[in-house]
Amino acid sequence: MGDNWGFVLAAYALAAIVLTGYWRHLVRRERELNAPVAGHPPGAPGAPPRQQ
Amino acid sequence: MTRVLGWLAALALLAGLGMAFAVAPREATQGTVQRIMYVHVPSVWVAYCAFVVVFVASIAYLATRAEAADRLAHASAEVGVLFTGLTIATGSIWGKPTWGTWWTWDARLTSVAVLFVMYVGYLLLRGMIDEGERAARYAAVLGVVAALNIPLVHFSVLWWRTLHQPPSLMKPGPSSMPPVIVRALLVNFAAFALLYLYFVAKRVRLLRLEGEAGA
Amino acid sequence: MIFARRAWSVVWKDLLVERRSKETLNALAFFSLLLLFVFQFALGPDRERLAAALPGLLWLGFVLAGLLGLGRTFVLERENDCWEGLILAPGDKSAIYVGKLAANVTLMLVVEGLILLLFAVFFNVDLAPALTGLALVMILGTVGLAAVGTLFAAMTAQVRARELLFPVLLLPVQVPVLLGTVKATEAVLLGEPLGAVGHWLGLLAAADVIYIVTGLLTFDFLLES
Repeated sequence: MGDNWGFVLAAYALAAIVLTGYWRHLVRRERELNAPVAGHPPGAPGAPPRQQ
Repeated sequence: MTRVLGWLAALALLAGLGMAFAVAPREATQGTVQRIMYVHVPSVWVAYCAFVVVFVASIAYLATRAEAADRLAHASAEVGVLFTGLTIATGSIWGKPTWGTWWTWDARLTSVAVLFVMYVGYLLLRGMIDEGERAARYAAVLGVVAALNIPLVHFSVLWWRTLHQPPSLMKPGPSSMPPVIVRALLVNFAAFALLYLYFVAKRVRLLRLEGEAGA
Repeated sequence: MIFARRAWSVVWKDLLVERRSKETLNALAFFSLLLLFVFQFALGPDRERLAAALPGLLWLGFVLAGLLGLGRTFVLERENDCWEGLILAPGDKSAIYVGKLAANVTLMLVVEGLILLLFAVFFNVDLAPALTGLALVMILGTVGLAAVGTLFAAMTAQVRARELLFPVLLLPVQVPVLLGTVKATEAVLLGEPLGAVGHWLGLLAAADVIYIVTGLLTFDFLLES
């Protein structure tokens, strides 16, 4: 049986992408939800801050 | 503290990688491809743990109506589906060079695929109910049913694959794996478990924030 | 107390079977006929191929008809604004579950019997020697399908996209029942003794028990609002 390093790398790369992707999604969402509390007018999460 | 958990998980994952590539030997029969097992197997173990947590949290919610139990069930289901999907994908990538095909209806892959579909359904149900209280209640019932179904799925799929042989094959004997491979598996399992805990902690916090924001 | 509950269930069951026999049964009967045509067209005229696939086709037919029939379990309550009536009903609401379950099992067995008959006629299969075995498997499988189906029908009755969500939720959970019934049916049609598939029958029976008990315990929670 050949060495098939390509498959091993593919599997680990996939795991890395999926897990970091989910982590970044969680972090980004948390940032969005915390932003309005920091002094911006309460609006929909992700609404752009008003220009003063 | 969630952040500590995150750093621990990251460190453990690095250790796991080390074990998988540096410490564990090249396996005789399968060759290098076997190293995928160090992602595939811990992934499925963590997934099963996640769904047990969903089961317990669901019962807790039905008994106490504590929102924390509902958030835990929701978060654990989501992370569980993530790891289940990863299990299937890595299993498929392992299968191609090993069995020559991307998919095969072997007992483990099939069981995990059914598991995946069941809990995606759980997440779909949650997504389709707007009222928070009803979503929590209905999801809890589904969480209980799905979990109780897991052993039924396991045995039915196992017997389905072993065709006409009698179910004395139910408990495969302990495979004689070299201790170093077992150690590598356990280190990776610990790493994935820590990652699961970190993800669930963050997701639960998100759910709490979403609830407060009225999102 | 138990008597009142049982009486109530039977009353529900009779009411439902009577009400439904007008629309649902006829529609499902016709649907079964259509399924037969569809299977034939999908698999081609080769008789041996059909015979080999027969157990699977049979249960495909049962499951598809079941999805339609079970999905309608609470449609009358929903369409006629009677959902609140169910919620406000006094006493143990699992009596409603039992009543609906019994009605569903009855309805489904009738439709399945019809499908069986149609299969025997159209595919020219002699099912007579296997009838008792078939009946047992059909009862075990149908109870399993209906036990979860009735529960999930209540769960999806008030949810968006219920026609989509109901099969999506039910089918994965029913995998053990599907595997068990097809394997057991296979054996029965080959003339094997029931003992040969004792483990499958045991699994189906265990599934039925688990599903019904779970339904009894959790149904109340679905009818709180």
